[in-house]
Amino acid sequence: MNILEKLKIVKHKNPDIIDFCIETIRFRKLLENAQALLDLFEDGYEKILGEYILDRHYVTSLIDNVVERLDLMIYDACVLAPESGKELYTQYDKHKLKAEELLGGGGYSEEKSFDNNKDSSDLNSVDPEYKLLSEVLKWFKGDPSDPGETVMDFMLQIYVYVLKSLETKNILKSEALFKSGISKDPGSNIYLIDLWKDAVVSPKIRTLDDINSIPLKYFLMDVYNGRALQDSKNEKKAATWIAAASEYSLSFNTLKSDFQFRLEATASDYKKSNFIFVFADHSVKIENILSSGFHIEKTDYGQLAWSLGAASETIEDNLILIGRNLFHRDLRQM
Amino acid sequence: MEAKKLKIMVIDDENIVGKRLKPALEKSGDIVETFENGESALARFDEEPFDIVVTDIRMEKIDGIEILERVLAKSAHTKVIMITGYATVEIAREALSKGAFDFIAKPFKPADLRAIIKRASKELRA
Repeated sequence: MNILEKLKIVKHKNPDIIDFCIETIRFRKLLENAQALLDLFEDGYEKILGEYILDRHYVTSLIDNVVERLDLMIYDACVLAPESGKELYTQYDKHKLKAEELLGGGGYSEEKSFDNNKDSSDLNSVDPEYKLLSEVLKWFKGDPSDPGETVMDFMLQIYVYVLKSLETKNILKSEALFKSGISKDPGSNIYLIDLWKDAVVSPKIRTLDDINSIPLKYFLMDVYNGRALQDSKNEKKAATWIAAASEYSLSFNTLKSDFQFRLEATASDYKKSNFIFVFADHSVKIENILSSGFHIEKTDYGQLAWSLGAASETIEDNLILIGRNLFHRDLRQM
Repeated sequence: MEAKKLKIMVIDDENIVGKRLKPALEKSGDIVETFENGESALARFDEEPFDIVVTDIRMEKIDGIEILERVLAKSAHTKVIMITGYATVEIAREALSKGAFDFIAKPFKPADLRAIIKRASKELRA
């Protein structure tokens, strides 16, 4: 069966679907803030390794920006998982305290004077600014002897709280939705919701050209051009999918399944905003779905992977590969 | 023929800037002096002009713009390169309109500054 025959456009936006769209948009906002946070980490690492001339202002701005981004992430997380708000803000306050501690001390109390008339032979000693930056980077990612205390750990914790909450709330798995919005028997179809507008060109999708959403088009490209999908007798393989798409974005989730998989992608000409985020439960060997360029984190709840800021060609290639692996292979054997 | 050594003055109230820039710029064989405030830098400039002045814009008492004006008033051929911090793009524009040769934003790599200095030295020797 052709993959496009499995693509069913959901026209009627009942309240559950509207809630799902709002939830998806907010989740993507959370990812954008997480991406900005990771960019800050990367910038800090680049500066400490790249022989940059920097001053204390750079480091203090970095700390301030991280705290600000974390705040935005917590806000998004609390919208998606309000029951986790208290716990998340408690953790956030600890990080704010750590940030204040770094800003207050940060090894900057060392001797400041530098005699310009003398030879600069003491350059090998660590400057307080670099020492502070090194402390800040440890706070970001830390070392294995200090688990659970870093900003990165907290970021993963936020993801887990949110993903667990979304799974528990299960907006789209409600019976009411299946009766009114989608189908009584969703089968292994992909239900497509226009997230904003412009996801599809035509209400009847016959070829890939009828799909306007760039990430969705590439995601299905190899499956469409390759061998036809076989209707699986294996219930575990026959997942129902829900895709929320717009011209540049795609949110692709399992709807009715005994395994969890979520993909979020933005594919555009603007490299900086491009990303792919994947969440999969432990039943899936995530490394076998993704290319080697992905950063993978494993938590007790599931596996998280992301690729940020890739060129449009790379994002497109990755989407083709993930789509092919997801639909052509038995996920449990991957 | 060996090119004449440039005399470069670096002014930044964050001492790490001078400390790191001095050896990086001296690698090219130029003579580099660093200062952490405008007063001592201008006093030194009164004693002897420099070919190139690299100055931070935001500093207490005497800021980079004032240094630019006073250096160019004393020595019109000196090339002044401004170091900008954050949110100082407007001031950088003002500096360029007042005769600064170029500006560079922190954090930066010494190689980036060396490239600007190389352009400035070509103009000095033209």
